[in-house]
Amino acid sequence: MQLYRLTLATIIQRKFWMVAFLCVLLLPIVLPYLTPYESNPTLIEPARAQAAWGVLWIASVAWVFFQAARFGDETARSGMGAYFLSTGVSRVSQMVQIWFACMTFLLPMVLLTVAVCLIGAMPGDKEQATMWVATNMQYAALFLLVIAPLAMLAISIGSRFGGTVGYIVPLCLSIYGLFGVGYLAMMTTVQENIFLDWVYILSPHYHLANLTPRLVFKQGNMVSAEFLHLIAYFVGLKLIISMISTICFRAKPAT
Amino acid sequence: MKSQISEPKIELTTDLSIGYKDRLAVSEGGIELGSGTHYLLARNGRGKTTLLRTLAGVLKPLDGKYSCDGRCQLLGEDLVFDRELSAKIIFKSMLPKEGCREALELADKLELDIKKPYGKLSTGNKRKVALLMAEFSVVEGRSDILLLDEPFTGLDAFAREIFQDLWTQRDRGVLRLVSCHPDFDSMEMASSVLISDGKISHLSGGETPKQWGELKNQLN
Repeated sequence: MQLYRLTLATIIQRKFWMVAFLCVLLLPIVLPYLTPYESNPTLIEPARAQAAWGVLWIASVAWVFFQAARFGDETARSGMGAYFLSTGVSRVSQMVQIWFACMTFLLPMVLLTVAVCLIGAMPGDKEQATMWVATNMQYAALFLLVIAPLAMLAISIGSRFGGTVGYIVPLCLSIYGLFGVGYLAMMTTVQENIFLDWVYILSPHYHLANLTPRLVFKQGNMVSAEFLHLIAYFVGLKLIISMISTICFRAKPAT
Repeated sequence: MKSQISEPKIELTTDLSIGYKDRLAVSEGGIELGSGTHYLLARNGRGKTTLLRTLAGVLKPLDGKYSCDGRCQLLGEDLVFDRELSAKIIFKSMLPKEGCREALELADKLELDIKKPYGKLSTGNKRKVALLMAEFSVVEGRSDILLLDEPFTGLDAFAREIFQDLWTQRDRGVLRLVSCHPDFDSMEMASSVLISDGKISHLSGGETPKQWGELKNQLN
């Protein structure tokens, strides 16, 4: 696990993780107070949950993907990939070690977000509180199933096509999956088009992992069947993305 | 009872052919290298780096076979660490505890600033970091193969002598294949692998020239 330790040390040394952690921890507390909350103080808590998950999405997409793509790029170009290959560390193992290092920082950020929601925005009602905890746990699981494979894709594409492409591809994919697919759904209902229908079916439906509206409007947690259905969908998506990443990852520059 | 140390070995078959798209060199006669330091000598662009990359398993040979018995480490000339990491952090991340302690001790002797970010080190000091990392990754009792691509680039004579002394002290169970362009004729070379006229050959034993001054005439 030398590459894991080296990557971890590099992230720590770059220090930007502190900014990301502070944003995840403090912005959900500060941002709701910048709204005209005095008109309805009961909205502060849902707003806090919304800010907490919103900041986590942004921090992951902006920082984690960027780090991942950069590490992929640097490993291939710096000779480290070739060094580890020579010591017997396969390219897949190298990719997984870099990915683990990125996940080591993503996981605490998710835990911090859940903690902010549970400590700073927990409903007073006992029944609602139980649902609140369950919804946050479900959200955390789905969130990780979306971001983790995309981070692996960032490493892999970064190693083959450079850091910029490695960053942009998962970024666009996540934005499309979160927002673009919704617009596509509207288009397919307005006009019949078999091509658009297929694009819609084959698109990554990351918006399904966004449970922020459930938290904000206190709609309660998903029933088990629905949740497991979503988990199965995202695990399937994860397998496809992991497979593409494994094929695409390159430990040494092109000769 | 003496502990059994497994010996590292590199074997090249007669027809091992190296290169990228075009053939750069082919081995002339079977070559077998054991523990100790072997110098890889050739003029620019003749295939030193290609041979090292091939032996490390990073590049496929065009033809023929080779075998490396031992844990390889390829220290490429292009190997760089993240510019923000200090040598101390690199050693701590990459080396076992004992190796890290020894590396830090030698770094002190080599006047390497272990707290300075890697990106701010001079070329020679960057090279020291990589060399120390490779040297102290060697585990006693395990056979190790170090493939060092121009390790002396940027190193001053003082540092080079320290590394050469270290290689002499720690040659049991370690095979070093060192590509370099020696800059003084009296440099000792008991065993050398030459790439000349597209042929890879091994010179060692009593009849062979022992110094760079005599060897360089054989390079074309």
